Formats: sequence, C-alpha cells, structure tokens
Amino acid sequence: MKENEILINRANELRWELGETLHDSLLESIYKDAAEISKKTVKSFGDKESYAFDIKLDKILTSKLYGFPIMFILLAFVFWITIVGANVPSAFIASILLDTVHPWLKSLSYSIGLPFFIDGVLLDGAYLSMAWVIAVMLPPMAIFFPMYTLLEDFGYLPRVSFNMDSLFRKAGAHGKQALTMAMGFGCNAAGVVAARVIDSPRERLLAIITNNFSLCNGRWPTQILIASIFIGSLAPPYLAGLASAAAVVSVALLGIILSLVVSYSLSKTALKGEASAYSLELPPYRPPRIMQTLYTSLIDRTIFVLWRAIVFAVPAGIVIWLVANITIEGSSLAQIFIEWSNPFGLLIGLNGVILLAYIIAIPANEIVIPTVLMLTVLSAGLTGVGEGSGVIFELSSIQDTAIILHAGGWTALTGICLMLFSLLHNPCSTTIYTIYKETRSIKWTVFSTVMPLIMGIVVCFFVAQIWHIIS
Amino acid sequence: MDSNLYTLIVGTSILLFSGYLFFPEKGLIAKWKRALLNNKRVKIEDALKHFYDCEYNNADCSLASISGSLTLPKDDAAKVIDTLQDMGLITNTGDRFILTSEGRSYALRVIRVHRLWERYLADETSVNETEWHSQAEEMEHMMSIEAANELAAQIGNPIMDPHGDPIPSTKGELPQKIGIPITQLNEGEFAKILHLEDEPSTVYAQLVAEGLYVGQQIRMIEKSSNRIKFEANGEIAILAPIIANNISVNLIPDSKNVVKSFKKLSDLSVGQKGTIVGIAKAVRGQQRRRLLDLGVVPGSEVKAEIQSLGGDPTGYRIRGATIAIRKKHASQVFIKDIISE
Repeated sequence: MKENEILINRANELRWELGETLHDSLLESIYKDAAEISKKTVKSFGDKESYAFDIKLDKILTSKLYGFPIMFILLAFVFWITIVGANVPSAFIASILLDTVHPWLKSLSYSIGLPFFIDGVLLDGAYLSMAWVIAVMLPPMAIFFPMYTLLEDFGYLPRVSFNMDSLFRKAGAHGKQALTMAMGFGCNAAGVVAARVIDSPRERLLAIITNNFSLCNGRWPTQILIASIFIGSLAPPYLAGLASAAAVVSVALLGIILSLVVSYSLSKTALKGEASAYSLELPPYRPPRIMQTLYTSLIDRTIFVLWRAIVFAVPAGIVIWLVANITIEGSSLAQIFIEWSNPFGLLIGLNGVILLAYIIAIPANEIVIPTVLMLTVLSAGLTGVGEGSGVIFELSSIQDTAIILHAGGWTALTGICLMLFSLLHNPCSTTIYTIYKETRSIKWTVFSTVMPLIMGIVVCFFVAQIWHIIS
Repeated sequence: MDSNLYTLIVGTSILLFSGYLFFPEKGLIAKWKRALLNNKRVKIEDALKHFYDCEYNNADCSLASISGSLTLPKDDAAKVIDTLQDMGLITNTGDRFILTSEGRSYALRVIRVHRLWERYLADETSVNETEWHSQAEEMEHMMSIEAANELAAQIGNPIMDPHGDPIPSTKGELPQKIGIPITQLNEGEFAKILHLEDEPSTVYAQLVAEGLYVGQQIRMIEKSSNRIKFEANGEIAILAPIIANNISVNLIPDSKNVVKSFKKLSDLSVGQKGTIVGIAKAVRGQQRRRLLDLGVVPGSEVKAEIQSLGGDPTGYRIRGATIAIRKKHASQVFIKDIISE
C-alpha cells in the first residue's frame, strides 16, 4: 500500500515535469516509426501515369474558368433527368396501384360486404396513401440516387466540395455541405444521411439542420403546380411560363441562401459548443463500378428511404381518412379544424385547409397537394369532383385544379405564401425520424423541426400583411 | 388598410419582443438564467480565488485589490471578507489576510473547475478563444468537483489550461511558478511562451489578435520603455510594455541551435515541396488529431498540388493522398527545405 502511494506521488510529480507535449510527442514518434518501417519494407511501383491524369483532370475541374460551369451543367443535368425521367414510371406505377389495384380492392371489399368504416380506413386511407407515396417517390429516387452515387464513385463530388468550400467556410460550414444540399434536392432524409461524410461534429450538425432548406423532390411538383396556376396568371400570357419558372427557381435559390444564413448564425450561437475539425480528402479518379453503384444506391438509399416513408404513410393515411369521416354534430373533424384554424391561416396568407393538410400529410410532401384538393372539396362543399371524403386525389389538368382552388377561395397571395411555406416548414416525418437516428439527440431533432416552421410562419405573415397594405 | 397596418405592427412587435427574450447570451432569458446563479456563493468563491492568486504570485492582498477584482464597492468587499473569516476560510494575521488550509483547498477546487473547463472549451468545442475565460468564470460556480473530475478523465487529465496555467490536481497540487515576463528578455534572445494572462479580457483579446499562443517560439528584437518588439514565428509583434507584461516566457539558453523561424505550409505555392517540421500548439483537440491522422507529422514530405476555385483551401499531397487543408490551418503547420519543381 505504502509503495503504491509513493509510486503514484512520484508519477504525479513527474507529470508536471514532462509537460503537456507528452501525448503529441508520443504520437509523433509512433507515426515517425511507422513511416520509417514502411519506407524500408513497402515497395510501390506503377501508378504514375494515372496520377498524372488525375492532376490534369483536377486542373480543369477546379479551374476558375471551367469549375463552376461544369458543376452547374452536371448538377442541372442530373436534376433535369430526374424530373423528366420520373414522369413515365410514376404514371405507370400510379396506373397500376391507384387506377387498377385500388378499384379492384374496392370491388372485392364490396363483394364480401366489408363495413363502410373498415373499407374506408384500410383501402381509402392506409392503402391509398401508401400507394401514392410509392408512385411519386420511388421513380425519382431510383433515378436520382444512382446518378448521384456514380458521380460520387467517380470522384467528382469531392471536387465540388473542394470548389465550394470557400463559400461554406464563410458560413462556418464544411464544403461537403454542398453535397448534402445537392442530395437534399433529391430527398431531405437522404441528405441528412449523406451528412455522415462530414466527419466534424459541428459542421455535420449544421448540414443536418439546414438540409430542409433544400427543396426536395416531393416539393418541386407543388412549387411548379402552384406557380403555374397563380404566378403565371399574374404575368401577361406570353410570359406566363417564364414567370412561373422564375418563381420556382427563386424559391429554390431562397432556400440555398437561407441555408447559408442559418448555418452562419447557428455556427456563431447554438453550435459553438460542438467540436470542429476540417479536412477533405481528394481521392483519385476511378472508373465507376456501375453494377455495384446501382445495387448500393437502390438498396442503401432508395429502398431505405422509401421504407421509412411507407411506415409513416400508412398511419397518416388512416388519420387523413378518419378526420374527413368522423363527424361531430354533422360536421367532420376536418371541417371543424379548418374553420377553427382558418383565421390564423388567413393571417399568414394561407388558410385552414393548407394548415390541416400540412399537419396530416406529414409523412411525405408528395401527398400535400392531393390532401389539399380533397380537403378543399370537402370544406367548400363542391360536388362532382374528387372521389369522396377522405380519399386523396389529383387532377391531370392544371385548369381543373385551378378551378377547385379558386372555388376554395385561393388568391395569388395564397399561392405565393404556399410556395414559401412549402419551402419553410417542418421536415416530413421520414426526415424528422432520420434526423433523430443520425444525431441521437431529441434536442437537435426538435430544433430542426420547429426552427423552419417558425421561420415559415414569420415570413408568410410579413408577406401577407405587406401584400394587403400594398394592394 | 388600417387594420392590416395594425396587424403588421403587432406582428413586428411580437417578433422583436421574442427576439429580446430569447436572443442567445444577450436576451432576457439568458440574463435571467445567469442572475439565478447564487450571488453570495459567486462572490465568496471569486474572493477566495483572488486570495489564492495573491498567494501564488507572492503578492499582498488588500481590501482595495479585492474590491477591484470583484468589482464591488469597498463596503461590500469588506462584508465578503467578514463572511470568509466567519466561515474559517481566511484568517487575519494582523497586517494581512491569508488563506486557511480549508480556504486554500476550496479555492483550488474552484480553480480546477475553471481551468479544466477552459481546456475543455479549447480542445473539444469551437468556442472562440476570447470567450473561454468568461464562460469558465460562470462554469466554475456551477460544476461540482465530481463532475469536473469526470470531465478531466474524459479529456485525458490535462495538466495545463490553454493559457498555460497549471490545473490543480485532484489533491490540490500545483507546481512551482516558472517563467519570466517577456519584458525581461534581452534583445536577440530566444524564448518560448509559457503563459498568456487571460485577465483583463481586453488585453487578452489583443494578445490573441496578435496570433500569440502558448508554446510559440519568439525572439526579442527591441525593447524600450514604450514598446516591446519581438518576432513570433516569422511575424513581428509590437506591444506596449504594460500589455507585454501579461506574457510569461521561458528563456531558451542555447540560441545557437535554435531555428530562427520556419516557413508555413500556407507559404507553398502550387508545385512546391517541403518537409513538415511540426504543428503549432494553437491547433488543438480534434483538429490537431485530424492533421496527425492524415500524416501531417514531422518528416513527412508535402507538396502543394492544387488550389480551389476560391484560392482556399489548397490540396496538398501528403503520404500518397491529396488532402485539402484550409489556409487557417495550413498557416499553423511549419515546414522546411522548400523546393520548387
């Protein structure tokens, strides 16, 4: 015992003498030894030529002249292919799941005499919402993720972060946030998962929290639809297309700017307490392994995200159907909520229908518009459109959609505010769940859910009030 | 129109008011939280720290120095001293006050928490270095010594805080004070910075702004009664003596073998090669480990290979891999033997 104490005391004295560089010196000498051993024993040959090729390619891809144009063209191409290419398979899946299987299930349930209530909850609620999510989410993701993974595999994406780093550095973030943002344009949940590539805790949290400002695949169609109905009509007819396209692009740009601004202010305040360590490896270019890429991006990203979306879509579908069909004293829960929340909705340029739609369509932004249409028909008491209360639907013609929305009392202001609110609101439940899975922190999950919602309410409020004063 | 204007005004006021309430650090709620700290305890602990400082620096504590360091009127300072005496933490030896052994160990506990927390902020967070001290000033009154010991174990039982002050051990041991003020160096002498005094904070901010850090090598160039001029890693710093006095250094006696100043990694232009000498002490915690992991260790050859669109970061070839390092960090990595290809 005595000896023990003497030893410990001696060790404590020596600690002061050794100073605090001990750890570093130890580490450095280990690295030094390792380097010397490897120098003696490891022989390397070949490889020189491909390395020279790398440098040449790097010189072009990171040059002041070509760097940005190449990046914009490549990314724009990926998005264009995704949006255009997804239409056909989406329509195909919809025609099977929505137009064939759903009626067949309905007639089956009718023939075995399933009670109205069970038939509604299961088929019009759970099944329809799930089928809808699959039809609209699967094709874009199955196109976007493999293309993105190919670029990643080839080694181009690290160069994008390398080029974008100086911009993100000024916002206190990591250059790789450019990648998670780009991924977020495909799907926020996938963007949040992609933030794993950022190995510095503070910058990773920044990327996760601000990913929602990337307008995801589920919100593009909403933006395009609303812009062509409400913004297009503000401009002279020959400029209508251009005006609505410009509006959609502005909203997406606003999202990018906000994600930088929010990154900046968070890194100066709430995220000061997180450690930061910057480094970025520029791996050598290699030919992408196409089959492996297809496999991993389909399994790891597409199926993974889709499964989470389905898990949330099923209960939400049930809720959507129930709120439209459970009635108290003659009016449905949906109608009661819409009437109750309408004044607040109008205050921020929206209406009760939109508020309710954003609450019950939380599993996926893709089903917001179908829910809005169903609720509008329900609350405005329209007849002859839609499939019945609680059954979400979409119309193939923009004009018909416009008629329903105008009948619901929508104005250009409603359209503008909806576009802004669609950018600035809580992430979908899939993303929220993914944020929790990735951060393992209730605090940051709640924060990244509530923060954009508050921003959206504030922005819409001011837009609406100023609009009222000006017009 | 009028009612809309009214709504707009109400909305703006609500927004401003909630900003006033919730603004981090400056908002009402943050202030209220700070005020919740037990004021009496804070005063007692701060006074004890001051007594300990006097003892460690062999200076005399007076009522005036207490009221100065606690920013209290003399009457209140006298009351604090009375309380300390009643609690048996200090005794009066006739001409001055000295700490009792309980008082000393209490003071050392507070100092241990303070310095550990500074070290934690420096190594494990991205809190700006000008804020380390003020945050630790709050934390020292809130954290229990058990929690502090746990924290110490977590960050590898450090022995120094980032300003170069020793952290008292769990038994309350501290080494003898070493080092001399920089103003005692003669012209041409080399020394290593041992300690940067973090109080008052305006002076410390000035030292930080000069890019000085503990562990840095300096060379005295010129000193006179109104300015001190010295070289720190190739950059000239000029300070007023009263400010320079807050820097303690350790003289390097054998100045023949001292390398005067090193080039920095950020000095390499694309195509140039160098050999790494070391990483400045100012790079800490995770960032330091990251650089070491990537092979930024003494003896590694490094070549600047490619520059990003905006000029920063730069890609360096280190141990067969190309790694982008930001200018901020590259300027804290020292190299030698620069050759152009």
